[in-house]
Amino acid sequence: MKIMNCPLNGPRNISEFVYGGQVKAMPDVNSVSDEAWANYVFYEQNDIGIVLEWWLHSPSSYWFIAERHNASDEIIRTYPADELFKERIDFTASEADA
Amino acid sequence: MSEQLNNVFESPLSGKVYEGAISIQDYTNKQRWGFRGKDAAAALRAEGWKLPKAPNQIITVPGDTLIMALSQREFWFLDPSTDAPIPSDVDQAISEGMYPLFCQSSHAWLVVSGDQKSEMMAKLCGVDLSPDAFSVGDVAQTQMALINCIVARHELDGSDVFTILVDQSYAQYALEALLDARAEFCRSS
Repeated sequence: MKIMNCPLNGPRNISEFVYGGQVKAMPDVNSVSDEAWANYVFYEQNDIGIVLEWWLHSPSSYWFIAERHNASDEIIRTYPADELFKERIDFTASEADA
Repeated sequence: MSEQLNNVFESPLSGKVYEGAISIQDYTNKQRWGFRGKDAAAALRAEGWKLPKAPNQIITVPGDTLIMALSQREFWFLDPSTDAPIPSDVDQAISEGMYPLFCQSSHAWLVVSGDQKSEMMAKLCGVDLSPDAFSVGDVAQTQMALINCIVARHELDGSDVFTILVDQSYAQYALEALLDARAEFCRSS
Protein backbone atom coordinates (compact mmCIF):
# COMPACT_ATOMS: atom_id res chain seq x y z
CA MET A 1 0.00 0.00 0.00
CA LYS A 2 1.28 3.44 -0.88
CA ILE A 3 1.68 5.74 2.10
CA MET A 4 1.08 9.49 2.16
CA ASN A 5 2.00 11.78 5.03
CA CYS A 6 -0.89 13.93 6.23
CA PRO A 7 0.41 17.11 7.91
CA LEU A 8 -2.24 16.75 10.63
CA ASN A 9 -2.52 12.99 11.09
CA GLY A 10 0.81 11.53 9.99
CA PRO A 11 1.46 8.65 7.58
CA ARG A 12 -1.70 6.99 6.30
CA ASN A 13 -2.69 4.55 3.55
CA ILE A 14 -3.27 6.33 0.26
CA SER A 15 -6.84 4.98 0.26
CA GLU A 16 -7.65 7.51 2.99
CA PHE A 17 -6.91 10.43 0.66
CA VAL A 18 -8.86 12.13 -2.11
CA TYR A 19 -7.24 14.15 -4.89
CA GLY A 20 -8.52 17.72 -5.09
CA GLY A 21 -6.92 19.19 -8.21
CA GLN A 22 -3.94 21.41 -8.89
CA VAL A 23 -3.12 24.38 -6.74
CA LYS A 24 -3.49 27.43 -8.96
CA ALA A 25 -3.37 31.16 -8.35
CA MET A 26 -6.92 32.50 -8.50
CA PRO A 27 -7.38 35.54 -10.72
CA ASP A 28 -9.05 38.63 -9.28
CA VAL A 29 -12.73 37.75 -9.49
CA ASN A 30 -13.78 41.36 -10.01
CA SER A 31 -11.58 42.08 -13.02
CA VAL A 32 -10.99 38.70 -14.68
CA SER A 33 -12.26 38.04 -18.22
CA ASP A 34 -14.62 35.14 -18.88
CA GLU A 35 -11.93 33.35 -20.86
CA ALA A 36 -9.32 33.68 -18.12
CA TRP A 37 -11.84 32.50 -15.52
CA ALA A 38 -12.76 29.48 -17.65
CA ASN A 39 -9.07 28.71 -17.99
CA TYR A 40 -8.69 28.87 -14.23
CA VAL A 41 -11.72 26.68 -13.54
CA PHE A 42 -11.48 24.05 -16.27
CA TYR A 43 -7.87 23.73 -17.46
CA GLU A 44 -4.89 22.18 -15.75
CA GLN A 45 -1.24 22.04 -16.74
CA ASN A 46 -0.20 18.63 -17.98
CA ASP A 47 3.59 18.98 -18.09
CA ILE A 48 5.79 16.29 -16.63
CA GLY A 49 7.41 17.42 -13.42
CA ILE A 50 6.70 18.36 -9.85
CA VAL A 51 3.18 19.65 -9.41
CA LEU A 52 1.37 21.32 -6.51
CA GLU A 53 -1.88 19.59 -5.63
CA TRP A 54 -4.75 19.79 -3.18
CA TRP A 55 -5.36 16.57 -1.24
CA LEU A 56 -8.00 15.71 1.34
CA HIS A 57 -7.50 13.36 4.26
CA SER A 58 -11.04 12.05 4.20
CA PRO A 59 -11.42 10.70 7.79
CA SER A 60 -10.52 14.09 9.26
CA SER A 61 -11.82 16.29 6.39
CA TYR A 62 -8.41 17.99 6.36
CA TRP A 63 -7.29 19.71 3.16
CA PHE A 64 -3.57 20.19 2.58
CA ILE A 65 -1.06 20.66 -0.21
CA ALA A 66 1.27 18.06 -1.69
CA GLU A 67 4.23 18.39 -4.00
CA ARG A 68 4.21 15.34 -6.25
CA HIS A 69 6.15 14.27 -9.33
CA ASN A 70 3.44 13.36 -11.79
CA ALA A 71 5.58 10.87 -13.72
CA SER A 72 7.29 8.95 -10.91
CA ASP A 73 4.31 9.53 -8.54
CA GLU A 74 6.82 10.33 -5.80
CA ILE A 75 5.33 12.56 -3.10
CA ILE A 76 8.08 15.02 -2.28
CA ARG A 77 6.45 17.02 0.49
CA THR A 78 3.07 17.66 2.12
CA TYR A 79 2.22 20.72 4.19
CA PRO A 80 -0.72 22.71 5.60
CA ALA A 81 -2.50 25.02 3.17
CA ASP A 82 -1.78 28.05 5.34
CA GLU A 83 1.86 27.92 4.20
CA LEU A 84 0.61 29.28 0.87
CA PHE A 85 -2.72 30.85 1.73
CA LYS A 86 -2.31 33.41 4.48
CA GLU A 87 -5.54 35.34 4.11
CA ARG A 88 -9.19 34.51 3.78
CA ILE A 89 -10.72 35.61 0.46
CA ASP A 90 -14.32 36.79 0.66
CA PHE A 91 -16.47 37.02 -2.44
CA THR A 92 -18.86 39.90 -2.88
CA ALA A 93 -21.46 39.72 -5.61
CA SER A 94 -21.43 42.64 -8.01
CA GLU A 95 -24.65 44.58 -8.55
CA ALA A 96 -25.07 42.96 -11.96
CA ASP A 97 -25.05 39.48 -10.34
CA ALA A 98 -27.34 40.36 -7.47
CA MET B 1 -33.14 -1.34 11.00
CA SER B 2 -36.22 -0.28 9.05
CA GLU B 3 -38.39 0.39 12.11
CA GLN B 4 -38.76 4.00 13.17
CA LEU B 5 -37.02 4.95 16.39
CA ASN B 6 -39.26 6.63 18.96
CA ASN B 7 -36.41 8.61 20.44
CA VAL B 8 -34.02 10.18 17.92
CA PHE B 9 -31.23 9.73 20.45
CA GLU B 10 -31.92 6.01 20.77
CA SER B 11 -29.04 4.03 19.38
CA PRO B 12 -29.72 1.86 16.33
CA LEU B 13 -27.47 -0.66 18.10
CA SER B 14 -29.74 -0.59 21.19
CA GLY B 15 -26.90 -0.01 23.64
CA LYS B 16 -25.85 -3.65 23.38
CA VAL B 17 -22.92 -5.11 25.30
CA TYR B 18 -20.82 -8.01 24.00
CA GLU B 19 -18.81 -9.43 26.89
CA GLY B 20 -15.75 -11.62 26.50
CA ALA B 21 -11.95 -11.54 26.26
CA ILE B 22 -12.59 -8.48 24.12
CA SER B 23 -15.71 -6.56 25.08
CA ILE B 24 -17.63 -4.27 22.76
CA GLN B 25 -20.17 -1.87 24.20
CA ASP B 26 -22.49 0.51 22.39
CA TYR B 27 -22.19 3.99 23.92
CA THR B 28 -24.17 5.71 21.18
CA ASN B 29 -26.86 6.65 23.71
CA LYS B 30 -24.33 8.59 25.79
CA GLN B 31 -23.83 12.33 25.53
CA ARG B 32 -21.38 13.92 23.13
CA TRP B 33 -21.11 17.34 21.60
CA GLY B 34 -18.50 19.40 19.83
CA PHE B 35 -17.36 22.75 18.54
CA ARG B 36 -15.31 23.95 15.61
CA GLY B 37 -14.00 27.35 14.59
CA LYS B 38 -11.02 29.65 14.80
CA ASP B 39 -12.06 30.96 18.21
CA ALA B 40 -13.28 27.62 19.61
CA ALA B 41 -10.18 26.89 21.72
CA ALA B 42 -10.07 30.35 23.27
CA ALA B 43 -13.83 30.39 23.96
CA LEU B 44 -13.80 26.95 25.59
CA ARG B 45 -10.79 27.83 27.74
CA ALA B 46 -12.60 31.01 28.79
CA GLU B 47 -15.49 28.82 29.92
CA GLY B 48 -13.05 26.94 32.13
CA TRP B 49 -12.51 23.81 30.04
CA LYS B 50 -9.06 22.28 29.98
CA LEU B 51 -8.21 21.23 26.42
CA PRO B 52 -5.67 18.74 25.02
CA LYS B 53 -2.32 20.32 24.23
CA ALA B 54 -2.23 19.15 20.60
CA PRO B 55 -4.53 17.82 17.88
CA ASN B 56 -5.28 14.09 17.96
CA GLN B 57 -5.11 13.93 21.74
CA ILE B 58 -7.81 13.05 24.30
CA ILE B 59 -7.92 13.93 27.99
CA THR B 60 -10.28 13.16 30.86
CA VAL B 61 -11.37 16.13 32.94
CA PRO B 62 -13.02 16.11 36.39
CA GLY B 63 -16.56 14.80 36.03
CA ASP B 64 -15.23 12.05 33.73
CA THR B 65 -15.92 14.00 30.54
CA LEU B 66 -13.52 13.12 27.74
CA ILE B 67 -12.28 16.01 25.60
CA MET B 68 -10.82 15.21 22.22
CA ALA B 69 -8.94 17.65 19.97
CA LEU B 70 -9.35 16.69 16.31
CA SER B 71 -7.49 19.74 14.99
CA GLN B 72 -6.37 23.11 16.33
CA ARG B 73 -9.96 24.29 15.80
CA GLU B 74 -12.16 21.28 16.55
CA PHE B 75 -13.04 19.78 19.93
CA TRP B 76 -15.39 16.95 20.86
CA PHE B 77 -16.76 16.27 24.32
CA LEU B 78 -17.76 12.72 25.28
CA ASP B 79 -19.62 11.98 28.50
CA PRO B 80 -19.68 8.21 29.04
CA SER B 81 -21.73 8.42 32.24
CA THR B 82 -24.71 10.52 31.08
CA ASP B 83 -27.45 9.55 28.66
CA ALA B 84 -28.41 11.72 25.70
CA PRO B 85 -29.87 14.14 24.82
CA ILE B 86 -27.37 16.87 25.51
CA PRO B 87 -28.47 20.15 27.10
CA SER B 88 -30.04 22.22 24.33
CA ASP B 89 -27.91 25.30 25.06
CA VAL B 90 -24.82 23.42 23.84
CA ASP B 91 -26.22 23.13 20.33
CA GLN B 92 -27.05 26.82 20.25
CA ALA B 93 -23.66 28.14 21.28
CA ILE B 94 -22.97 29.83 17.98
CA SER B 95 -20.69 32.80 17.62
CA GLU B 96 -18.73 34.16 14.70
CA GLY B 97 -15.59 32.16 15.35
CA MET B 98 -17.17 29.01 16.79
CA TYR B 99 -20.08 26.78 15.88
CA PRO B 100 -21.51 23.55 17.28
CA LEU B 101 -20.99 20.12 15.77
CA PHE B 102 -23.88 17.71 16.01
CA CYS B 103 -21.80 14.64 16.77
CA GLN B 104 -24.59 13.23 18.96
CA SER B 105 -26.54 12.68 15.77
CA SER B 106 -23.74 12.23 13.25
CA HIS B 107 -21.65 9.54 14.90
CA ALA B 108 -22.15 6.21 16.63
CA TRP B 109 -19.91 5.47 19.62
CA LEU B 110 -18.49 2.04 20.42
CA VAL B 111 -16.16 1.21 23.29
CA VAL B 112 -13.79 -1.75 22.95
CA SER B 113 -11.87 -3.19 25.89
CA GLY B 114 -9.69 -6.23 26.54
CA ASP B 115 -5.99 -7.06 26.50
CA GLN B 116 -5.94 -8.08 22.84
CA LYS B 117 -7.94 -5.18 21.44
CA SER B 118 -4.90 -3.80 19.60
CA GLU B 119 -4.33 -7.14 17.87
CA MET B 120 -7.99 -7.28 16.93
CA MET B 121 -7.91 -3.75 15.51
CA ALA B 122 -4.84 -4.65 13.45
CA LYS B 123 -7.19 -6.81 11.36
CA LEU B 124 -9.35 -3.81 10.53
CA CYS B 125 -7.17 -0.71 10.58
CA GLY B 126 -3.88 0.27 8.93
CA VAL B 127 -2.67 2.42 11.82
CA ASP B 128 -0.54 0.75 14.49
CA LEU B 129 -2.74 0.90 17.60
CA SER B 130 -0.44 -1.18 19.83
CA PRO B 131 0.36 0.43 23.21
CA ASP B 132 3.94 1.32 22.19
CA ALA B 133 2.79 3.32 19.18
CA PHE B 134 -0.62 4.45 20.39
CA SER B 135 -0.74 5.18 24.08
CA VAL B 136 -3.44 6.41 26.44
CA GLY B 137 -4.40 9.91 25.31
CA ASP B 138 -3.78 9.31 21.60
CA VAL B 139 -6.40 9.77 18.87
CA ALA B 140 -6.25 8.49 15.28
CA GLN B 141 -8.53 9.77 12.54
CA THR B 142 -8.31 6.94 10.06
CA GLN B 143 -10.26 4.10 8.47
CA MET B 144 -11.51 0.85 9.93
CA ALA B 145 -12.84 -1.84 7.59
CA LEU B 146 -12.69 0.79 4.82
CA ILE B 147 -14.96 3.32 6.56
CA ASN B 148 -13.86 6.58 8.15
CA CYS B 149 -13.51 6.44 11.91
CA ILE B 150 -11.99 8.10 14.93
CA VAL B 151 -10.15 5.81 17.34
CA ALA B 152 -9.11 7.10 20.77
CA ARG B 153 -7.29 5.26 23.55
CA HIS B 154 -8.30 6.40 27.03
CA GLU B 155 -9.16 5.10 30.45
CA LEU B 156 -12.74 4.34 31.41
CA ASP B 157 -13.68 3.08 34.87
CA GLY B 158 -10.02 2.19 35.42
CA SER B 159 -9.68 0.16 32.22
CA ASP B 160 -7.68 0.96 29.11
CA VAL B 161 -10.20 1.12 26.24
CA PHE B 162 -10.64 2.21 22.65
CA THR B 163 -13.42 4.62 21.80
CA ILE B 164 -14.47 4.19 18.19
CA LEU B 165 -16.65 6.78 16.49
CA VAL B 166 -18.12 6.08 13.07
CA ASP B 167 -20.78 7.72 10.95
CA GLN B 168 -24.23 6.76 12.31
CA SER B 169 -25.25 5.26 9.00
CA TYR B 170 -22.34 2.80 9.27
CA ALA B 171 -23.08 1.82 12.89
CA GLN B 172 -24.42 -1.64 12.14
CA TYR B 173 -21.68 -2.36 9.61
CA ALA B 174 -18.95 -1.21 12.00
CA LEU B 175 -20.36 -3.34 14.82
CA GLU B 176 -20.52 -6.42 12.59
CA ALA B 177 -16.95 -5.83 11.36
CA LEU B 178 -15.75 -5.56 14.98
CA LEU B 179 -17.68 -8.68 16.06
CA ASP B 180 -16.25 -10.61 13.13
CA ALA B 181 -12.68 -9.52 13.96
CA ARG B 182 -13.28 -10.28 17.63
CA ALA B 183 -14.54 -13.84 17.07
CA GLU B 184 -11.10 -15.49 16.98
CA PHE B 185 -10.17 -13.88 20.30
CA CYS B 186 -13.39 -14.94 22.06
CA ARG B 187 -13.84 -18.57 20.99
CA SER B 188 -14.15 -19.87 24.54
CA SER B 189 -16.62 -17.24 25.70
